[in-house]
Amino acid sequence: MNQHTTVAPSTRLQSIVGGGVIVLALGLAAGAVSIPSNAGYAGVGPNFLPWLVAVALLLCGAFMVYEARTGGFRDMEEPTGDGAPYWGGFVWMSAGLLANAALITTIGFIFSCALCFVLAARGLRNAQGQSARGLKPWLSDTVTGLLIAAPVYWMFTQFLAINLPGLTQGGWL
Amino acid sequence: MDIWNQLLQGFMTAGTPVNLLWAFVGCALGTAVGVLPGIGPATAVAMLLPITAKVDATASMIFFAGIYYGAMYGGSTTSILLNTPGETASMVTAMEGNKMAKSGRAGAALATSAIGSFVAGTIATVLVTLFAPVVADFAVKLGPPEYFMLMLLAFTTVSAVLGQSAVRGLTALFVGLAAGLVGMDQITGQARYTGGVPELLDGIEIVLVAVGLFAVAEALHAVLFEGKVVEHENKMSRVSMTREDWRRSIPAWLRGTAIGAPFGCIPAGGTEIPTFLSYAAEKKLAKGSNLAEFGTKGAIEGVAGPEAANNATVTAALIPLLTLGIPVSNTTAILLGAFQNYGIQPGPQLFTSSAALVWALIASLYIGNVMLLVLNLPLVGMWVKLLKVPKPQLYAGILIFATVGAYGMRQSAFDLFLLYAIGVLGLVMRRFNFPTAPVVVGMILGPLAEAQFRNAVSIGEGSAMVFLQRPMSLALLLVVLAVLVLPRLLRRRAPALL
Repeated sequence: MNQHTTVAPSTRLQSIVGGGVIVLALGLAAGAVSIPSNAGYAGVGPNFLPWLVAVALLLCGAFMVYEARTGGFRDMEEPTGDGAPYWGGFVWMSAGLLANAALITTIGFIFSCALCFVLAARGLRNAQGQSARGLKPWLSDTVTGLLIAAPVYWMFTQFLAINLPGLTQGGWL
Repeated sequence: MDIWNQLLQGFMTAGTPVNLLWAFVGCALGTAVGVLPGIGPATAVAMLLPITAKVDATASMIFFAGIYYGAMYGGSTTSILLNTPGETASMVTAMEGNKMAKSGRAGAALATSAIGSFVAGTIATVLVTLFAPVVADFAVKLGPPEYFMLMLLAFTTVSAVLGQSAVRGLTALFVGLAAGLVGMDQITGQARYTGGVPELLDGIEIVLVAVGLFAVAEALHAVLFEGKVVEHENKMSRVSMTREDWRRSIPAWLRGTAIGAPFGCIPAGGTEIPTFLSYAAEKKLAKGSNLAEFGTKGAIEGVAGPEAANNATVTAALIPLLTLGIPVSNTTAILLGAFQNYGIQPGPQLFTSSAALVWALIASLYIGNVMLLVLNLPLVGMWVKLLKVPKPQLYAGILIFATVGAYGMRQSAFDLFLLYAIGVLGLVMRRFNFPTAPVVVGMILGPLAEAQFRNAVSIGEGSAMVFLQRPMSLALLLVVLAVLVLPRLLRRRAPALL
């Protein structure tokens, strides 16, 4: 990619976004087929809004594809941040979020969230280009993550009686 | 008088130590999320929605309202001291406020915005006190056709009028409506788009959508695109105003309030228009050396006016929310969701069926504004320190709170995967400049609008002509059309305005 195209997302990607909306519209329409139309006195039944939404999204999607193919989306704001995406950081943070989802019921809220914190912070540190070699940043992130997650867990489970999964039944871990 | 009795009752409820504590924590938390980049009042309220399962309705509404308007105070601090405005509401404040801070007058800018917010917030609260019951009395007379038209007005303004592009706004709105479709149909009980998954019969949780779209998407955006962005923090100076500053601020506050409050009252949302209008008015009224300060050294009127307009709009927006049940912003939409969690449907009956709750809430607005003035004037230095939290820890920490909100609502790990998917969707929307408010408003208001529409058509015995036959609904329809057409005409003529 040359320097000029990295500033705004390219029009090819915009076409894909428009296409995605069309796919969503078709999916909604396919679902709407199986909704009965027993309207009763109302004149319109439970399938009316689904069809309306599907058709509207189809039109919006088509219009966006048209815009993308004729010079790009109109009235775009300058995107913030620097041009090129940093996918490495994205992978770290995604791993954190997905690991959290997968592990929260097994290892409990505190440890699962601390793990998510460590992985996400790692991604963000790398994105900033910090030279975060060695054990120290890992350790400090782990401690910070635990220091945030544990009080949050206690506050919500003990004072507000909201169920969050724990490692033990005691309610403190 | 009746209103005063009820307001007094409200103060008695809101003034109990426990409720005062909730108000204080809400205001402090609101200021904090307003100051912190990457998290706003809508996200904060959404993350804390699970508390509605345990905390009683009055306390939690006082708490949420504190977060709601506390964030407006905090937001101006960030837009004055950093080179990036925190949220759209403080975009205008950032223009002059930043210039003032750069020329060493950060303190005066912070003072005028805090005091201006207090003045405007208090005046607007008086308006809420006086007019909300009147509007509620009037709204009782509205039938389904009129309600549907009011909701259509809210949909139109939030999607097609505010924001850059009508087609992207409408797409966002319909995505929200589609999300609202999932679950059981309100009228016939028919399941829609549940794919046989029993959890989906109750619909998609608004917490999930709001937290995913705002918090998770924001964190993903930060890691992907903002790693190398360096923010310049302006130097603080003593928070005080000279006699001259007061002389210039007071009329600007009052004008800003006068511009902002009406915008909040109508279900046509958004703080962008009133704040810009107030800014334009102040610039037009300024003379001589004051005018020369606009855009150069930073003019204090340019901070005072829009900041007052912003708070007046936000406070007055509680009128349509409480009396009609129509939210016009992300945060009010989520507040509506909070009411719904208690099985309370805001609307004209709210003032009779939940009078104690409503009046306690209104009383807490007066109390909260005083708390916020104290929190934001003498203690502003404390909040400024929040700007020093390094980004990796800030965003990673936000993800922990996102987990609480998403998991705490339904205790389902599946929701956390869904949260991630919605976060990625939000990232795409943000990158391609789609507004998010229409998604949230569409999702919350969609099922209600659908029910009103179908009730209206059955009143019309199956004919949609009912919308044209009733004078009030026809008038509202014309307003919707005007709202669609007029701004486009104005925009063509107005570039010279600013």
